[in-house]
Amino acid sequence: MPIKPVLSACGVALLTLSLGLTACSAIDSATPQQSTTEERPAKQGGILRVALSAEPDKLDPSVARTLVGRSVFNAICEKLYDVDEKLALVPQLAAALPEFSTDGLTITIKLRTGVKFADGTAMDAAAVKTSLDRHKTLTGSARTSELTSLARVEVVDPSTVALKMNTAFTPLIAVLADRAGMIMSPAALQASGDNFATNPVCVGPFKFASRIAQDRIEVVKDPNYYDAAKVHLDGVTYKIMADATTRFNNLRSGDVEVLDTVAATDVDALKAEANLKLITSDSLGYQGITINLGNVNGVGKAPAALGAPYAGPLATDKRVRQAFELSLDRAAINQIVFRGQYTPTCGPISAASPFSSEVAQACPKHDPAAAKALLTSAGLATPVKISMVIGNTADARRLGEAVQAQAKEGGFELELQPVEFAASLTQTDAGKYQMFQIGWSGRVDPDGNIANFVRTNGSQNICGYSNPAVDTLLDQARKSADVEARRDLYGRVITKLHEDVPLIYLYRVKNFTGVSSKTVGVRVYGDGLLRFGVAGFAAA
Amino acid sequence: MSRYVLRRLLESAVTLILATIVVFIGIRALPGDPARTLAGEESDPATLAAIRSSYGLDQPLPVQYLRYVQKAATGDLGRSPRTGLEVADSIGHALPVTLQLSAFALLIAVLIGIGAGVVAAVRRRKPAEWAANGVALLGLSVPNFWLGQMLILWLAIAYPVFPASGFVSFFDDPAQSVRHLLLPALVLGSGLAAIVMRQTRSAMLEALTADYVRTARAKGLGSAQVVLGHALRNSLIVVVTIVGLQLGALISGAVVTEQLFVLPGFGKLTIDAVFTRDYPMIQGVVLVTATAYILINLIVDLLYSVIDPRIRVGGTAL
Repeated sequence: MPIKPVLSACGVALLTLSLGLTACSAIDSATPQQSTTEERPAKQGGILRVALSAEPDKLDPSVARTLVGRSVFNAICEKLYDVDEKLALVPQLAAALPEFSTDGLTITIKLRTGVKFADGTAMDAAAVKTSLDRHKTLTGSARTSELTSLARVEVVDPSTVALKMNTAFTPLIAVLADRAGMIMSPAALQASGDNFATNPVCVGPFKFASRIAQDRIEVVKDPNYYDAAKVHLDGVTYKIMADATTRFNNLRSGDVEVLDTVAATDVDALKAEANLKLITSDSLGYQGITINLGNVNGVGKAPAALGAPYAGPLATDKRVRQAFELSLDRAAINQIVFRGQYTPTCGPISAASPFSSEVAQACPKHDPAAAKALLTSAGLATPVKISMVIGNTADARRLGEAVQAQAKEGGFELELQPVEFAASLTQTDAGKYQMFQIGWSGRVDPDGNIANFVRTNGSQNICGYSNPAVDTLLDQARKSADVEARRDLYGRVITKLHEDVPLIYLYRVKNFTGVSSKTVGVRVYGDGLLRFGVAGFAAA
Repeated sequence: MSRYVLRRLLESAVTLILATIVVFIGIRALPGDPARTLAGEESDPATLAAIRSSYGLDQPLPVQYLRYVQKAATGDLGRSPRTGLEVADSIGHALPVTLQLSAFALLIAVLIGIGAGVVAAVRRRKPAEWAANGVALLGLSVPNFWLGQMLILWLAIAYPVFPASGFVSFFDDPAQSVRHLLLPALVLGSGLAAIVMRQTRSAMLEALTADYVRTARAKGLGSAQVVLGHALRNSLIVVVTIVGLQLGALISGAVVTEQLFVLPGFGKLTIDAVFTRDYPMIQGVVLVTATAYILINLIVDLLYSVIDPRIRVGGTAL
C-alpha cells in the first residue's frame, strides 16, 4: 500500500525542536479496507475451520493474556461492551452505553434481560458482580491491574449494576469491552474452581466443546444464546498453525476456511487466488523501538542513571535520540521489509481511532543530514556506537538490518543483538539493553496504548522514562469523558514524546485475514479479532 | 537372577532421578522468565509476582524439585500453566500421533529401501541401478522441510489429492488415517529409505556372490527364489540392524515433519513447550521419554540373559 506523506502544520512543541525536526508530516493511512466478507445469504450448518497463528493460553477470561485467545473468546464469551467496525464502543451484554455520575465515581450499567449462559443459568446483575469481583481479586488474574480504579460492584436490581470507582477513569468502558468485561457463569465457576479454563461457560454464539494442546479448540453452536437465530454455523474448529507458510498452504488447499494472520509477504499471492479473499483492517497496535533512558533496577522501579555497558549519550541526550529517529525512513522500511503492506506511523494512536488528530499523527521527517548535524551539535564524533535487541526471527532480522543501514546514514553504528523472544523480555525488563525492537497489540482506548509505557513507573515502562508533564496530561485524559478534550490531551502527550523520544514508533501492522470465498459474514475490525457470530457458508 | 533384576531396577531408578534433575536444572538455566512469558503483554510487576506465586516459581529450586517429584511419583505430572490442560492428557494425545507417524514412515522406508536396494543389486550397472542410486542420493540430500513443502504444493494444492494437514488415528478410521499420514510419512521416511536402500544393495551384492547363492543356482532354483529366498533373507540381518539404530533418529526427526503438516505429535508438543517455557510440560515430556528409554534398555538387558544363558552379567552366572 503506497504511503502518501501529507505536509501539514506541526504541533507547536515540535516547531521548537532544533534543526531538521522543524519539518514534519502527517501520515495518511486512510486506505480502502474490507473489514468483513460480503453479506451473501448463508446456509445453515457446517463447521468453520480456522487457522490460528499461535496457541491461545488459558481460556479463562480472568487470567487469559494472548491475542489469539481473545479471538476464541469472541465466539464463546461475550462482554459487557464491544466495538463496531468504526471502533466505537457499543453495548453487548449491556443493554445500553453506561451512565456516568457527575463526579465520574459511579458508573451505572443496564444489562440485557433474558440472557442465559451456555449452561442454561441466567446472566444477571449478580453474575456480573461475581465475574468482575473474580477478575479483580483472583490470584494471578491478569485483569487486576486493569480494574485498579474499580472499588466495588453493587447490584442495583437484577438487570442493573453500579460500578463504584476509587477515582474517575473513563477508559474503564473500553476495558470492559475486553476480557475484563466477559461475564462467566457463576454455577460453572463454582463447579470448576481454578480449572474454569478447561471448560469455560459464558454467553456467546458458540460454546466450548473440547481442546487438545497444540492442536485444536472446538466450539459448537449454543442453543441458549439470545441471538441464536442469527447463528448459521454448527461450530468452529480453531487449528493451531504457527508457521505462516503452513497456514497459507492450508488455506490454499482448502484444509481451513479462515486464516487469522496472513504474512505481509503472502498478501499479493493471496490476492491472486481466485477462491480466496482478503479482509483488511488497520491494527490498533504498533511496532517500534524502545530506548532505555533510566531502567536500571527493573520495570516499575524509579529511573536512575544507567551503568556500563548501557550508559551513553543515547540515554542522556535527547538530541541523540532525535537524531536516531531522523535517520529512519519509515516508508522505505515498510517497502523493503514488508512490501509496503503495513502503515508507517510515528505515534501510539491509530489514525482510525476517534482519538486521533493531526497532532497525534505528526511525524518527524526522514533527514539523515539533520541527524548528523544534531550529533555534531551534541558534541559527538560519528559514528556513534549503539546497540539494539531484536527478535531472532527472519522478519525481525530483516527489520533490524534495514534500521541498521538507515542509522548508518544518520551517523550511527548500530549493533544488532538477536535474542530469543522469551529471553529478550526478561533481559529488557531488567534494563539490560540500550534499544529494543518491540511492539504492542493495541487497545481501543488510547490510555491502554500510552500510559503504561511512558507514565512514571508505569507497569510496562521499560524505558525508565519519567516526565511529570506527560504524567499530568495522561491523568487528565483518564478523568475526562469528553472525546474532544481527550483527543487534545493525547495530542499534547504525543508532542512531548516526539521531543523526548523514549519510544520511536515505526509502523502499524495491518490485520490481514484470509478467507475462502465459500464463507460469508466473517468480520474483523481494528482490534484484529475474528467474529463468527453471523458467519456461515455461502448458500448455493 | 532376582538379585540382578533388583540391581538393574535400582540402577534404572537412579538414572531416572538423575535425568529429572538434569532437565529440571537445565530448563531453568535457559534465559527467559516463564512468568514473563506467561504474562504476555500484561506484564506489570504485581502480575508477575502473582504468577510466580501461583506456580511456586518463587520457591527455592530444591523445594520446587521435591514438589514436582512428589507429584510425579503419584502419576500427577501437573497442569500446563499456559493452557491449564493436564500434562499427562496432552502427552497421551501427542504420543500416539508420533508413534503412528514413525511406524508409517518406517514401513514406507523399508518397502521403498529394500525394493530399490534389491533392484539396484540385481540390475547392477544398468539403468535400474542408476535410477535407484539417484533416488537414494535425493532421499539423503533433500531436506525434509523442502520435500514436504513441494509435496504439499503439488499434491495438496495443485492437485488436491491429500490434505495439507491434520491427523486421523489409524484405529478410528484406517483409510482416512493413511490419507492424512501418507505425505508426512513419505517425507519422514525418505532419508531412512535411502539408507536402507544403500545397505540392502551392499548386503545383496555381497550375498549374490556368496557360495550358498552359487549352490542354490546350481541346484536349479529360479532367479526370484534365489534372490528373495536366499540372498535377501541373509541380507536382511544387516538391514534390520540399521533400521533399529535409525528408529530413534526417525522419532526425533518427526519434529520438523510434525510442524510442516501440523500434526499434534510429541515433537511439536516438546518444541512449543520449550519456546513458551512451559516447565511442567517439558518436565513431563522428558520424564516420559527417559522412562521409555530406561524401560526398553532394561527389558532388552533382561531378554539377553533369558535368550542366551551364556551371557553373564557382572561376572556372575544368572
